[in-house]
Amino acid sequence: MKKNFYEITYIINPVLDDEQYKEVVDQVSKLIESKDGELVEVDEWGLKRFAYEIAGKSNGYYVNAYFNAPSEAVEPVERQLRINDNILRYLTLKYDSKMLAYYDKRKKGELPTIFEETEEEE
Amino acid sequence: MIKNPSHPKKGHLKTKDCRFTKAGFDYIDYKDVDTLQRFLNDQGKILPRRVTGTSAKFQRQFSRAVRRARFLALIPYVAENVR
Repeated sequence: MKKNFYEITYIINPVLDDEQYKEVVDQVSKLIESKDGELVEVDEWGLKRFAYEIAGKSNGYYVNAYFNAPSEAVEPVERQLRINDNILRYLTLKYDSKMLAYYDKRKKGELPTIFEETEEEE
Repeated sequence: MIKNPSHPKKGHLKTKDCRFTKAGFDYIDYKDVDTLQRFLNDQGKILPRRVTGTSAKFQRQFSRAVRRARFLALIPYVAENVR
């Protein structure tokens, strides 16, 4: 079966404690694997302040994950995330060739920056 | 831009380059909040191309990245300015 590369970011309700965060992350990871997906990377950003309030909360626990999966897997995974009350928001992106090139560069730490240029022009 | 050699504005106008093209971007990531913020004003609005000189291609990608970052509350939809 043809698999695509996906990125998913979701925000867990900050009222939970550390162990419960782990549980939710495990749940989601297992869910992806149960749909024939292989996780490539799971990156927990931890608690971050929101730029605006979501569901009356001012911060949330961010998790960013990358996985290979057939396209049929995405819909049931998103469905479960929607049902789960502990997940405030999620965003799934399918990677195209340019985004994959970007991902590889990021892994190697070769990302282009625009910083120096911005400073000299001001 | 201005072809007429005696045009008064000739020599004063800067040709702006797209910074994303110059830096060799493949894709503008919504997670890269620092970069995004350089192309927003204090209120969190997207700066127009005529100000930043961004190419049409990257302006589209950039605004998409901004919308994604806003959705995940990484950057505000509306920033309340304390004056």
